[in-house]
Amino acid sequence: MGELRRDPIIGRWVIIDTEHPAGPNDFEKEAHTFRGGDCPFCYGNEQITPPEIEVIRDSGTEPNKPGWHVRVVANKFPALQIEGELERRGIGLYDVTNGIGAHEVILQTPYHQKELSDLEEEEVENVLKMYCRRALDLRKDTRFKYILIFKNYGPSAGASLEHPHTQLIALPMIPKSVHEELEGALNYFEYRERCIFCDIIRQELQEKERVIFENKFFIAFCPYVSRSPFEIWIIPKAHQEAFCQLSYEQTQELAKILKKTLQRVKDVLFNPAYNFIIHTSPINTEKKEGYHWHIEIMPKLMRVAGFEWGTGFYMVPTSPEAAAKYLKQ
Amino acid sequence: MIIATERAKRPDQFTVAPENPQEGECPFCEGRETHTPAEIFSIRKSGQRNSPGWQVRVVPSIAPFLRIEGDLDRRAHGLYDVMNGIGAHEVVIETPQHIANIADLPAEQISQVISTYIERINDLEKDSRFKYVLAFKNHGWSAGGGRVRHSRSQLIATPVTPKRVKEELIGAKKYYEYHERCIFCDIIRQEIEDKERLILEIDGFIAIAPFASRFPFEVWILPKKHSSDFVNCCEAEFKNNLAKVIKIVLAKLKKALNDPPYNYIIHTAPFRREKAGYWKTISQDYHWHIEIMPRLTRVAGFEWGSGFYICPLPPETAAKFLRETEA
Repeated sequence: MGELRRDPIIGRWVIIDTEHPAGPNDFEKEAHTFRGGDCPFCYGNEQITPPEIEVIRDSGTEPNKPGWHVRVVANKFPALQIEGELERRGIGLYDVTNGIGAHEVILQTPYHQKELSDLEEEEVENVLKMYCRRALDLRKDTRFKYILIFKNYGPSAGASLEHPHTQLIALPMIPKSVHEELEGALNYFEYRERCIFCDIIRQELQEKERVIFENKFFIAFCPYVSRSPFEIWIIPKAHQEAFCQLSYEQTQELAKILKKTLQRVKDVLFNPAYNFIIHTSPINTEKKEGYHWHIEIMPKLMRVAGFEWGTGFYMVPTSPEAAAKYLKQ
Repeated sequence: MIIATERAKRPDQFTVAPENPQEGECPFCEGRETHTPAEIFSIRKSGQRNSPGWQVRVVPSIAPFLRIEGDLDRRAHGLYDVMNGIGAHEVVIETPQHIANIADLPAEQISQVISTYIERINDLEKDSRFKYVLAFKNHGWSAGGGRVRHSRSQLIATPVTPKRVKEELIGAKKYYEYHERCIFCDIIRQEIEDKERLILEIDGFIAIAPFASRFPFEVWILPKKHSSDFVNCCEAEFKNNLAKVIKIVLAKLKKALNDPPYNYIIHTAPFRREKAGYWKTISQDYHWHIEIMPRLTRVAGFEWGSGFYICPLPPETAAKFLRETEA
């Protein structure tokens, strides 16, 4: 029989098949063949993209020329635009604001076929450092309340470009699912005066069943209330509210565990499409207690039906315990 | 929700190539009743249970996530909550013929499907372990539909109220507390007045492209007369009218978008079971409706992480396009 499990943070129920968990071979596979062709993000094509906002490059090389390692440019087709005043208004009973925000593309490497798991640890470190730098820079703009850093890998995860990249969107409001998480964490904190994420980490380290990797500063585990099969969280073991508070040593360890985890996902699940999202605290707003940043990795193994989106009720064919076992091996 | 008005695509850019049907021996066709689990319910003109002569047939799912036998056994696992996967998972076979899209069935047949939903929901309500029944459809492969292209929908009875339904209930309750009016009735009033997002208004129903659409060509069908529970639409005329509206809307989508994959979900009030936190105004503050979501775009990391949806087509454009599409 399956189990109904409830997320302790936001109270969402999921149905998990604990009896006959689906293994890596039970999902349809999506072939990843590189289309190739002219890529605006490859070495030598720097002038085709919008000018670089920030870059890590060899000393002595010119901006918007080869010689870079990690490069940030504005999204050519932004969902939101950076210019203008934020204006909130009502249309009858509806609320509208104009689409103010920033939408940037972080090019992880000049190499078209090298994903995060294929990079050297120091290169992954550079990518993470760039995430931090952009987040720290954008928070100076007080119109922004939240910075979302996320990655879509593979067409079925929504990636339209092949070249390894991450996206960053700065938003003028706290998005709904982040808000729910913050509220949930705050409620728990008010009641127990402890961070719920710290409690989760404690329980996961004790039970071990769902933990995939552990190093000095981080654990990677399959959450007890997974929304999709083989969902993975990477979380700092010590309480830390925001991603951009990462220390130098932590960045090194995070690069290691992230690379290792993505490598494992690629090997065990046959190079699946995936999304990862950095969940962190909001900016330029009242501080909320009890939030603890983390990265959520969601391999795209199923055709997510509108049923899940429409109801917020997830049916998960692989239990996190089984998923962790596959990923550990 | 973010509606990207600037980078809006034209409706024909979403056109989806028809999927490859894998025709085989269809277990859902008339005459092959023994290929499914024994029927739970049927509307039939003639014949015995599990034999030909039926119009709509309900059978248990062969791959259920939830099982009907057992106790809920709600318990703690450390700081987590867990309970047994108790529930019901049923398949409603909407026609004895091998027809893929409900839009291609006659309105009278769709009316029988509606009667079947009502019968089953009323029956499942008698089981005190259940709080909610979800009636929904996955049409087409990328919407989660099966390989066999025979029109059917699913019913899932759960011991908990799904999160998004609960959020909707709470939102509607708050609005009612403040205004003493149903928010859905207010939306209906505004949409009829604005007209921009109205797709059709006939026989006591409206179909709209909702103001904050999450997906391009998202459509809601709402009864104009206030009613919290879908099962209340038991008058024959009301059912027939709803069937007609569903048929027209789905036929418009089929024609406009070249038979896209889609999901629809009936949003209705949960069963009234007295417990802590239960409120008594649900009948006044909630309003049942059907949400239809064509699967034209892919949900990516941004939507996952934020609960924000980037909708590349304004609902006003979608509504105009659907208004002008002749079903």
